[in-house]
Amino acid sequence: MDEKDREIIRLLQKGLPLTPEPFKELGDKLWIDETSVISRLARMRQEGVIRHFGAFFDSKRLGRSGALAAMTLPEDKIEKVAAVINAFPGVTHNYVREGTPNIWFTLNAANDDERAKMAAEISAAADGARVDLFPTKRMFKVMVNLD
Amino acid sequence: MDSTDQKLMSELQEELKLERRPFLRIAKNLGLTEEEVLSRIDNLLKQGLIRRLGLAVKPEKLGHTTNVMIAWNVPEEKMEEVGAALAGFSEISHCYERDTPPDWKHRLFTMIHARSEEQLQNIIQQVKDRFDIDDYRLFRSLRELKKASLKIFPEAEK
Repeated sequence: MDEKDREIIRLLQKGLPLTPEPFKELGDKLWIDETSVISRLARMRQEGVIRHFGAFFDSKRLGRSGALAAMTLPEDKIEKVAAVINAFPGVTHNYVREGTPNIWFTLNAANDDERAKMAAEISAAADGARVDLFPTKRMFKVMVNLD
Repeated sequence: MDSTDQKLMSELQEELKLERRPFLRIAKNLGLTEEEVLSRIDNLLKQGLIRRLGLAVKPEKLGHTTNVMIAWNVPEEKMEEVGAALAGFSEISHCYERDTPPDWKHRLFTMIHARSEEQLQNIIQQVKDRFDIDDYRLFRSLRELKKASLKIFPEAEK
């Protein structure tokens, strides 16, 4: 990755220009041509630098019900329960973390009932282990503009 | 938000094609004009239903190798001040006050992407010094089990 790559990322973290030829507009700002912008992005996608390039929704405004969720699992159960957790399309993040609880994931559901059902199914897959929910009360910041 | 907007959002939740006129492709898929696609996206952004149309990177790939979640125990009367201040750190990507189970006092959740352990400790120290808060729980990320973008709209028929 070079400085131009980083500049492309910096600009695109803010947003893609809403014009018919958005990569040309980006290229004009960075003094490189459209083809170069596109090929750099393709390479960064290939290398796994880019996690998602598309829309980021505000699921709360869309009327959905979300929460951060946590549970405590012994190492030998993680794989089996993670398979159940990860199978939900409404789970976008799932991490093993140091400490207790050690499994942290996000739940996103059409409504509160569906969210409760997801949590119950996950708990059942873990032989009744508790699933704690941490819904957002107040949002101070979301989204990464990393350099 | 009408049914065309829903179809449009279903297109936009997928990875954008890297080509000269990405909106034209989406327009063709939906039987719309490119201008209409652009103005609908603009509207969805203005309504805040789409937070942004852009990209997200893997922090590790940009050198942010020390990725942790910290939950801070912040007194209610200080929550606004501390939450807003932590939101200002460029290494902190997410900062939320959360409802928590009854036995859980650490309600301000932050995701921190630091370039080193030293930088992480420096951030923690700054929070301690500025706000007199030293009760926190640090959850270091050990292993990623899933990381995907949210797909909430039914897939478009192709």
